[in-house]
Amino acid sequence: MEVEITTLTRRGTAIMRRANRVSADRIEFGRGTGNEVPLTDIRIGLDAMALTRSDGRLTVQKLGATPLRVNGQPVDTAAVAPGDKIELGPYHLEFRAPPEGSDAALSIELSQPLGDAFDRLRHQSRIGLQATGLSKRTSAWVGAGAVVLLFLIIPIVLYGAGIISPWQKDKPTRLGAVQMAALAWNIGDFSNSHRFFAANCTSCHEKSFTTVADRSCLACHDKTANHITPAADVGPLRTRLADSSCVHCHEEHRGVRGTIIRSEGLCLDCHRSLTETAPKSVYHDVRGFPNGHPQFRATVVTDAATPRVERVELGRDTPPVDRPGLKFSHAAHLVKGGFPKLGYKQLACADCHHAEPGGLGFQPVNFAANCQTCHQRELVFEGAELPWPKGQVPHGSDTGIVSAVWNFYAAKAFQGGVVQPAALRRAAGIGGPPQSDQANPQELIAQKTQAALGLIFDEQRGCGYCHYGNGAKGAFDTARMIPAAANATDDKHPAFVVPVRLQSRFLPQAQFDHSRHAAMQCGDCHQRRAAEAEVPLSSFGQVSLNQPVPEPIDIPAIEKCTGCHGGQGAVVRAASTCTTCHKFHRQEFGVMRESTAVGH
Amino acid sequence: MSVSDQLAAAGVNRTERHQSFLVYGGFFYLKIAFAVMLASLILYIVDRPYGGRYGGTWAGYILGIAGAGLIVWLTWFGYRKRSYVDLHGRLVSRLSAHVYLGLALLVVATLHTGFEFGWNVHTLAYALMVLVIASGVFGIFTYGRYPALMTENRGNLTTHEMLSRIAGLNDELRNAAVPLDDATATLVERAVETTDVGGSPWRQLSGKYPGCATEAALAGIATAERNVPPELEEAYRGVHVLLDNKRALLRQIRLDTSYKAMMEVWLYVHVPVTFALLAALLAHVVSVLFFIPVAIRG
Repeated sequence: MEVEITTLTRRGTAIMRRANRVSADRIEFGRGTGNEVPLTDIRIGLDAMALTRSDGRLTVQKLGATPLRVNGQPVDTAAVAPGDKIELGPYHLEFRAPPEGSDAALSIELSQPLGDAFDRLRHQSRIGLQATGLSKRTSAWVGAGAVVLLFLIIPIVLYGAGIISPWQKDKPTRLGAVQMAALAWNIGDFSNSHRFFAANCTSCHEKSFTTVADRSCLACHDKTANHITPAADVGPLRTRLADSSCVHCHEEHRGVRGTIIRSEGLCLDCHRSLTETAPKSVYHDVRGFPNGHPQFRATVVTDAATPRVERVELGRDTPPVDRPGLKFSHAAHLVKGGFPKLGYKQLACADCHHAEPGGLGFQPVNFAANCQTCHQRELVFEGAELPWPKGQVPHGSDTGIVSAVWNFYAAKAFQGGVVQPAALRRAAGIGGPPQSDQANPQELIAQKTQAALGLIFDEQRGCGYCHYGNGAKGAFDTARMIPAAANATDDKHPAFVVPVRLQSRFLPQAQFDHSRHAAMQCGDCHQRRAAEAEVPLSSFGQVSLNQPVPEPIDIPAIEKCTGCHGGQGAVVRAASTCTTCHKFHRQEFGVMRESTAVGH
Repeated sequence: MSVSDQLAAAGVNRTERHQSFLVYGGFFYLKIAFAVMLASLILYIVDRPYGGRYGGTWAGYILGIAGAGLIVWLTWFGYRKRSYVDLHGRLVSRLSAHVYLGLALLVVATLHTGFEFGWNVHTLAYALMVLVIASGVFGIFTYGRYPALMTENRGNLTTHEMLSRIAGLNDELRNAAVPLDDATATLVERAVETTDVGGSPWRQLSGKYPGCATEAALAGIATAERNVPPELEEAYRGVHVLLDNKRALLRQIRLDTSYKAMMEVWLYVHVPVTFALLAALLAHVVSVLFFIPVAIRG
């Protein structure tokens, strides 16, 4: 079969024709290149239609899914003749009268060019995210620009232009846009006490690219105490201390717990080698805690009269003895069961030791608050002729008592002569021949006064019951009292009783906080006292009532602390560092730094 | 010179070229990443400042510098990775390093923070970094999951071919709908005119096209067919078949679009947020240095 194929291509109004001849028994049309007549449009099947000739009749046959229409009618097979019009997918085929030498002739035209429909569809279909207008580049620029503007440029401009002002008194900070921008740079939570000016960065950060100056701190903290006494000879460490600034040990933006950097390294920098760098220092070297920390040294009074104190190491077999100038025995007071005959119950620690406000330590013990209730009777000399009603001698000024007694007898002499009072004789056991009324009155007054003072300062039931005198071996030299009192001036006040120097802290270099150990019993640490409270009066003997001896103190050694406290990195013990027990700024050493003298 | 030619020229054998970036070089970069993470962890544990760890201790500074260095390097790496010109066969190697060291960065930077977060530029930088890493991880997930699904769904057709077929179906529908009643013909015409493929990012990602005109036309013709005169039954059936074919193609191409969008979308987070992160990192570093807070603490 010889078929003449004419391909028509329209370009605007022009029609281009391209003719060729195909010779085959069966002519197939389709997208496949094996077809006798390949049709290149994508919409047409690989094998779409076949044209055959049988008995001079032409027949078309649908081969695939591509719709075939002959003269508008969908068909699978149909006989065709010149003049018939065939729609094969997007192609229009038309049979014409065959020229000479041909069995058939037909023209083929792509009547529904893909271009229109396809291009339109492709145009409508926004496939891929880039087609939606999203742009990685644009959003990258916008995002990065916004971050730089909001979090870099604006804060710097606000700071540089002085818009972020330092905190001012009576001008509370409000959280506005400026403050929000400033706080965007905040590197961490503020300490609670500084939060009220947290947004006023310039209160502390006066200049950029430098640390916070001491000046900023001292604007408020001008009373901050020194670390060492101004007279201490610590060699080069004094300069080192002077050169260190507040931020060396204090750091803000570290959370509500505060600004103190409690790292032991800061203290150990100097304290680990004090004996080398500051040989005149009284302190021992410390290389850490618990290992490397020296044994505690209790400060005890060795001579209350002078006075003299010394630091004695704890933890030895023989505990340090305190001599505060008082004949006092804890054991005698804590005796189990108390003193029923006198109607006194057993004393407990809290009967005499009252916590300070805040609970750190205890209020000083004194006669009026802690002793008088039971020991008033030691100062009552009933029947004795004394200036006070019922012979009740007041507790207090020794010079005053001497003067009062002397004046009492002087007044009596002035009124009508001094006689030896029988009662006084009886009470004091003073015998001897009767005094002559004609004797020198001044001498007589002195005699009477001295006799009375011997009674008052008696060691069995007078002042000497608890106190030591200034005489030899703690005796009271009553003969010396009258002339000494007579010569007393406002500036020079004689003392006949050794001053009492009760300490409320035996480890004054540390700040043991009793309130933070309130869950414990006193005896957990003060074990000697706890043991004493278990001794009944019957087995107590006559240890101290008549011959009191200075008693050992009961302050626990470092081993008691290290049972619960570990170093700063401790995990299974309480993490403790230098400042857990010690204070850096010591009020007793004066102001550390004058705000006007601060250069950095 | 094609990429494969370049790879060949660089002496990279075929097996190596086709190795996944995840297993590249016997997990070489995974090992490096583990080493980095382990070193960071040791540094973090060894440094025990009193009062808690944070970015301002000596270990914190080391981790911070390492983290910042990694961020800049990974960004540069990501940028260079796009360039095929200069690969010399290192594409897989680069991608492997980018992925594993990017994951290691999460550990380094997290330890740098000391787990201290707040409403500030520093935590912003960290949050952006986490977002970048998370989007990258999602990217790895999509690269592992969607190519196989795409192949399965496409059935050897390209997007171009699918669209061509739909366009052809549209043409056929337009012709075939001629004998239909006006209402149905209008529905078919609408289906032809409004062929929704792609569109907004959400449509592309979800693959859901509510109000699809083809679906509406199918519903319309199903109703119309009940009362159609016998002589037109075939015409209706023809259009119905065409619409069914179009719906099947639409489902295919929409699913394809959705897969493609899933494989692309992470980059629209990964890349812009990386640049926002670089900006935040700059602000973070400048703000810290601006008020050098204190000496490094031991």
